[in-house]
Order: sequence, then C-alpha cells, then structure tokens
Amino acid sequence: MYREDPPALELRGLTKRYDDGTLALEGFDLEIPAGSFFGLLGPNGAGKTTLISAVCNLIRVTEGDVLVFGEPAASLPARSWIGLAEQDINLDRFLTVRETLVYHGGYFGMTREEADARAGEMIDVFDLSAKRDTRAPRLSGGQRRRLLLARALMHRPRLVILDEPTASVDFELRMELWRYIRRLHAEGTTILLTTHYLEEAEQLCEEIALIRGGRLIARDSSDGLRAHYGADSLADVYVKAMAG
Amino acid sequence: MTGATGLLWLSKRETLRVSKLWTQTILASVVSSLLFILVFGLSLGGTIKQVGDVDYEVFIVPGLITMAMVQAAYANNSASIFQARFDRYIHDVLSAPMHPWQMTLGYLVGGVFRAVAIGGSLLVLSVLLVGAPVERPFALAAAVALALVLFSSLGTVVGIYAETWDHTTFISNIVILPLAFVGGVFYSVDVLPSPWHELSHVNPIFYLVNAVRFGFLGEADVSVWLSLGVTAALAVPAYLWAQYLFTTGRRLKA
Repeated sequence: MYREDPPALELRGLTKRYDDGTLALEGFDLEIPAGSFFGLLGPNGAGKTTLISAVCNLIRVTEGDVLVFGEPAASLPARSWIGLAEQDINLDRFLTVRETLVYHGGYFGMTREEADARAGEMIDVFDLSAKRDTRAPRLSGGQRRRLLLARALMHRPRLVILDEPTASVDFELRMELWRYIRRLHAEGTTILLTTHYLEEAEQLCEEIALIRGGRLIARDSSDGLRAHYGADSLADVYVKAMAG
Repeated sequence: MTGATGLLWLSKRETLRVSKLWTQTILASVVSSLLFILVFGLSLGGTIKQVGDVDYEVFIVPGLITMAMVQAAYANNSASIFQARFDRYIHDVLSAPMHPWQMTLGYLVGGVFRAVAIGGSLLVLSVLLVGAPVERPFALAAAVALALVLFSSLGTVVGIYAETWDHTTFISNIVILPLAFVGGVFYSVDVLPSPWHELSHVNPIFYLVNAVRFGFLGEADVSVWLSLGVTAALAVPAYLWAQYLFTTGRRLKA
C-alpha cells in the first residue's frame, strides 16, 4: 500500500507566550512538505525565530504540537533530523574549527570515525582548511558564519533550518552558500529559510509563508503570492501584506 | 538513537575544556592549596605540634584537599554553563538528541574531572611532603564522590540561574569559602568553646571535611556515617535540582 511521506514539519495550534507576557505565536498552523525549499518571511518580531526555536527545542512551548517527519519535535529521532544555523553566531569559544564540527557530530550521535570524516568534508566545502585548528573567537566574521553553517549540516540533517544565514555576509559567500544549499535541496533535504533579502527568497524558495504578529497571513509560491496581491514583485507583496 | 553517544561527547567536551585551561583550572588550585599546606602546616606545625594524636601538618591535609576539590567542582560547572548560556552555544547541546538526564550528567563530569585532577595531585604531593596516610580508602572514595556530586550540581544550578559572572563568584566567595574555613579545615571543632562548637554542627561543610578526614586519618570529630549521611542528604537534592532544570528547561529555555 502506498504511504505518503509525513511532512517535514507540522505545527498545530502552536502558541508561545514568553514569561514577560509577550505573545510571540498564537495558534499557529503550518505544514512544510518533505523535500521542499520553504521561505518564512516577516518583519523583526513577527515570530520567525520563536517558531524556529520551538521546532529545535530551544523554548518552552505554551500550547500546540510540533511534529518533524511525523515525530514529536522533542523526541530524539526528530532532534537528530534537524540542522539549525541560528541568526546570531553562537560558537563554542573553547573549540577549534575541527573540534566544533566533530563535537557537534558527537552530540548528534556520530561515531568518532564518522565525525572525523564528515568534519574534514565540511571543512573543505566551506573553505576552512587553513583555519581547522583555530578557535572560533579568532576567526573572521565570514569564517564564523561558514563554520556555523558547516555545523548545522555536519550530521546530515533531513531538515535544515537557516535563520537569516546571509545577514552581514559578503556577496561571494552568499553565492557559495546558496550553491551548496541548492545542491543539498536537490539531493532531497528539506530547507526552511528565513531571510530579509526578498530577492533571495524569490529565487530560492518553492513556497513562501508571510507571518506578522505571530500569525500566518499568506502562504503560496512567489508567483501565487504576486497574483494574490496583484503585485509585480515579492517586495510589493511583502509591503502590501505587512500593511494589511 | 539513545543519546549515549551525545553523553559521551558532552563529557569529553567538558573534560577538554578543563585540560585546555589546565593552568587556570588545575595548576592554580594545586599551587594555592600546596602553599596552605606548606605555610600553615610546616610553619604553624612548629607551634601546634599535634591535634589529638595526629601531626598538625597531616591534620590539615584532608580539609585543604576537600576545600580545593569542592571549590573546583562548583567553579567549573558554574563557569562552564554560564559561559555556554551567555554565548548561547548551549543551544548546540539543548537541541541535540540527548535526554535531559544525559545533559545533567555530561556537565557533572566536567566538575568531577577537574576536582579529581586537583585532589589526586594534592594527595600525591601530601603523601610525599608530609606523609599523609589514607587509612580508609572506601570511606574516602564515598565522601569525595558525594562531595563532588553536591558541588558540581550546585555549580550547574548556579550556572543556570546566574545573570552575571558576579553571581557565580558570589556563592563561591561568600558561601562556600567561609563555610569551609569554619568547617574545621584548620582545627578540630572539639577545641572550640560553646556556642561555636555547637554552631559548627550546623555547617554542612563541617560534615564533609570530617568524612574526608576519616578517610585519610581513620578518625574524625563526628561519626563517618553521620558525615556521609548529611553530605548525601544535600547531594541528592542538589543533583535533582540540576536535573529538574534540564528536564523542564526553566531558565535554560525562554
């Protein structure tokens, strides 16, 4: 009997109220199909990072369910399927580039041999060979960003979450990064991207969700969104959606 | 997927941090404790010949080793976890496929490793310099194990609650160090007049020092069972508190 793959990500009635009373997400429903390249757009404070943090077990969810490939996000298998590159650089200051990757692989269940081999691969892909024995605080901003992305991909996650990965990144690195992410996506990895670069989302994402004030306000392909809002570009869509 | 590999690597990461910073994490503590043994023991030993039937320089060794170990266990975990929270690289651990108990245990290992490295070094030096004996090794091992669970867990809890570096050092300087000094490290509380003698018995570190002293010397101010019991009665809730914080995510997750 044919059985459809569960969605890569399924949020049901997700609500998050922070301890100071801020309601960041309210009854949020979202389904991201496995294998898709999905964009999440919204202004600062819209709830994008809160949503990502809920998926990655980094906040306490107030209400609702988060499923990753059909498994509760808090379960160990679900966690092992997610790779997260956060918006802010958060690298272990005591570890070198190679150790950062190897230890991350270890946390995510890789054996020493697997982690060593994969770390070498990631170091080559992200052009960090010359800095492999350098500690994170001694890296340049671009090198730290590369390492952050390499770490997110280290354990071969099925769902890669990139929270504004190209913020303050030079053009060359952006191009390299997107080339690699496109290749990953072509191999079947699901990508969830948040970005403030609308042209980036338009070029990369098969589907885009617009969120504002913790609520989903629209979701479609970029063509679909343009048609729905009667706009010429995604930037126009964004302006109209956020004003409405 | 059991999280066992993650636990192993988190433990390795915590011990790696101690090893990389060994001059700060191990050497500094060994040198300062050694100075206490030399200055207090060998210089005052000329004035205070014996406490009971034990030479003074030998009498102070168990208390000084205890003090160094518990401070190191506390400082290690409070600093390691606070730094990880402050720089937010603790997210790499919190999002990893590990059970909360594995995270608690993984962090505990760092404090235990550092304290054992210091205690082991001081033990060897004490045997060589002042001929300190180890009369009851099993009692010593039990006392050290409970002490390290207690203070590593306390370090974890404070590292999770702390808002600034000052908070982590406050507990060490204002609570642990004074209690250790008045806990019979340098003297037997039997020589204290009332009410100081009685007050010493409400100091939890007094029991810990006595449990370790029993392990070294085979004698102490109070029963070793009472000392181990009091230490265990504090170690278990401290560990459970740390475990509770990892399980619920309180203070670790917004």
